[in-house]
Amino acid sequence: MVKIRSRLCVVVLATAAFTACRVNRIQNDHSIAQTLYQGMGSDPGTFNPILVTDASSGMAIEDLFEGLVKINPKTTLPEPDLAQSWDISNGGRTITFHLRHDVRWSDGVGFSARDVLFTMRAIYDPRVPNSMISSLTVDGRPLEVEAPDDYTVVVKLPRPFAPLLYAIGVPIVPEHVLGKALATGQFNRTWGIDTRPDDLICLGPYRMQRYVPGQLLAFKRNPDYWMRDERGGRLPRLKGQVLMIATDRNAMYLRFISGLLDVYRPRAEEVWELQQKQGELHIKLQPTGVDTGSRFFAFNRNPRHYIHNGKMDPKYKWFTDINFMRALAHALDKRGIINLCYRGLAVPAIADISPADRIFHNPNLKDYEYDLKLAARILDEAGYRLLRPGVRGDPEGHPIVFELTTPTGNPTADQICAIYKQDLAALGIKVNYRPLEFISLVKKLDSTFDWDCVLIGFTGTIEPNNAANFLRSSGNLHIWNPREPHPATPWEAEIDRLLDAGTRVMDPYQRAPYYWRIQQILHDQLPIIETVREIGYVAYRDSLENFDETTWGVYKPEWIQFRH
Amino acid sequence: MAEWRTLPWIVRGSSLCLLVFYAFAVASPWIAPYDPVRQYRDQPDCPPMALHWTSGSERQHGWLFAYPMKMVNPLARTFVEDHSRKTYIRFFYRGHLFTTESPDLPWFMFGSEGLGRDLFSRIVYGARVSMFIGVVGVLISFSLGLAVGTFSGYVGGTVDNLIMRWCEIEMSLPQFYFLLALAAVIPSGLSTTVTFFLIVAIMAFISWAGFARVIRGMAAAVRTTPFVEAGRALGASRIRQLRRHIVPSVLGFAAVNASLAIPGYIIGESSLSLLGLGIQEPAASWGNLLSQAMDPQNVLHYPWVLIPGIFIALAVMSFNFIGDYLRDRLDPAVIR
Repeated sequence: MVKIRSRLCVVVLATAAFTACRVNRIQNDHSIAQTLYQGMGSDPGTFNPILVTDASSGMAIEDLFEGLVKINPKTTLPEPDLAQSWDISNGGRTITFHLRHDVRWSDGVGFSARDVLFTMRAIYDPRVPNSMISSLTVDGRPLEVEAPDDYTVVVKLPRPFAPLLYAIGVPIVPEHVLGKALATGQFNRTWGIDTRPDDLICLGPYRMQRYVPGQLLAFKRNPDYWMRDERGGRLPRLKGQVLMIATDRNAMYLRFISGLLDVYRPRAEEVWELQQKQGELHIKLQPTGVDTGSRFFAFNRNPRHYIHNGKMDPKYKWFTDINFMRALAHALDKRGIINLCYRGLAVPAIADISPADRIFHNPNLKDYEYDLKLAARILDEAGYRLLRPGVRGDPEGHPIVFELTTPTGNPTADQICAIYKQDLAALGIKVNYRPLEFISLVKKLDSTFDWDCVLIGFTGTIEPNNAANFLRSSGNLHIWNPREPHPATPWEAEIDRLLDAGTRVMDPYQRAPYYWRIQQILHDQLPIIETVREIGYVAYRDSLENFDETTWGVYKPEWIQFRH
Repeated sequence: MAEWRTLPWIVRGSSLCLLVFYAFAVASPWIAPYDPVRQYRDQPDCPPMALHWTSGSERQHGWLFAYPMKMVNPLARTFVEDHSRKTYIRFFYRGHLFTTESPDLPWFMFGSEGLGRDLFSRIVYGARVSMFIGVVGVLISFSLGLAVGTFSGYVGGTVDNLIMRWCEIEMSLPQFYFLLALAAVIPSGLSTTVTFFLIVAIMAFISWAGFARVIRGMAAAVRTTPFVEAGRALGASRIRQLRRHIVPSVLGFAAVNASLAIPGYIIGESSLSLLGLGIQEPAASWGNLLSQAMDPQNVLHYPWVLIPGIFIALAVMSFNFIGDYLRDRLDPAVIR
């Protein structure tokens, strides 16, 4: 009898396991509570908006703080935020921002121009490490910011600087709370993740209510928020938001399926299932558009890495040889990657700036077609001949072998590398693939320079000058040879010149040719080999109203609400 | 042959199973129909394909054929048979046991995995790792355990005491974590063979201690038996006593335990490779093939990713059944 019982138990468990995947939506009270539940990949690192560098911390504080202006994700133009308007005078050298009078910090103190000056001071403080300073620097000098009265901020520039409005929207922090810490050099230790939610003095549409590490972040509506809808109604319309932390993508997906999350950005392999189950799960699925960033193979051109015992490693010659790089570009099967890794939901990336950036994307570049025979011919003609079947050597007879790395824990990147490795093996090039922990990879890229080839992704920005840190030869993120004292090659010098020239012209359409040329140079010189760009999707409960997500972000998030 | 018939059916089945798996390992280039790393990039996650009988004049191509699969919906990864073409299966063809006439139109017996590689060919090549890891590992750890155990048990005294305490220290290490730590320091760029032997060596050096302790106990017991004492009285040297009396009397036990320890190695390698610390892509082992099944979505939509798990289970069970049988036959303590 005991035996049968246990067997029955197994059967029950097995059916439970199978049906769990398509269990009916748990009746939840998200719509009654008007609380939106979203997922988040990892715990935040800090709640201090100036110190934020990672995506999770950014998500945690994005609804708590605001800047002078914000970028409309649909028009990709700057719009008023804390500044209700601005004037440009003196030939583009002076910009005057008129601040809102009706904004209060969550402790009741009024927001004023002093907070803006303080925020700029914090960003330019050499003791405060932050990622905003590079885009707020013109010709190596900080902006001159003044406040003639409590509600006016004047920014003076040494020369016309077109990207200013795309860089000035940094989150403003309160002087009356953090001022003392900055003066005493304690700023970096303020507002860590152990801060009590009530001590985060903010002014955005929401306030933080609760943070449970590893589980969730809860926000409630800011009752004093300044924004109103067309009929004068209070915004935001939601009463609260919750970010559920789940490091495992499968767990996050199952939570969305079971109704615990209201919004989910599916991976390509989940899109089909969600599309089929839209009715059953009461969800809507929409494409958001082509990824704004770029993911590429970068090759180390840093001579400092290649000198061993006074001798130059031959890899340096390969990676700076345009013929070698052209052959490598022709060996990348982008169609195959799109099919295998993205289920067709991606487009080949040709230019470094995404087509999502309609003005600055260069549409005229011709891709390096996948053609192993052509790649082999280019290598043969450049003197890289087969030493023996399956092993190619350089003109001096060194067999071609290099290391390929990428951050761990990304199955798609693993697959892209496996595909590339296979095609390079067909050309007789041996690739040793080894993924690395993100932290140790960053260390290699930034300080030890001990790497050959890396597959890495960068996020995109609407304003191309915000990528100057990557493009400029002296940039920190100039990945193939960071912080060059002088441009190492004529074309890197040209990119530097184009970046300077491109910021002097104010009209976006007249600026575009400079950035098109930069993309052309990267495409021709191949310090990086672009891969593909994913076509993003978002799935959300169909009871959500006004939910409108673009590839640049959610449009009018304050208007989102659950249907009553 | 008469012996064979008297064996229980389960032992016969297990032996056959192992024979097949070792044939996979020894003759993998011949048994595997395709190159195990070739990526059929238009056929990822393709289901196992059905076979059909040929008829009439087609017979000249062979008795069996399959319709190539065409991906009709890349988003859902659904395939249909392409009835406009046929791919014929031929035996003893182009240096393979069986394969299709053209390697460009493959027949996926067990389907294909996420990068469009033939799962069956990868399982066959994976047997090289998974089937030999046990044997090699057991050889290392048991020769070590046997030598140390008999020596310690026979000599006794302080030496015995020291050796046994050392064994206990080794046994008290949390084995899997220790294994993980050691596997993580294996440098990149080593060939699969070298990685393989490093993993075996690591596993063997972790597991010899427990075995040495048991052997030591047996050796200590045998040392005081009359026949050993008689040998000593007749003037046999220590080496001779060890070789002629002590070792043979524990060997039966050792053989039984060896066959029961092999599954541990297979499982150990599978777990390491499943976590990405063992045999690295694109080389195949049953463990890293199974890692695709870690994603529940994959198991749900492409259940054939579980097939490598069946092979692991079959190999482990076969070794256990054979080990059990050997113990019943050889161990005098078991009452039949």
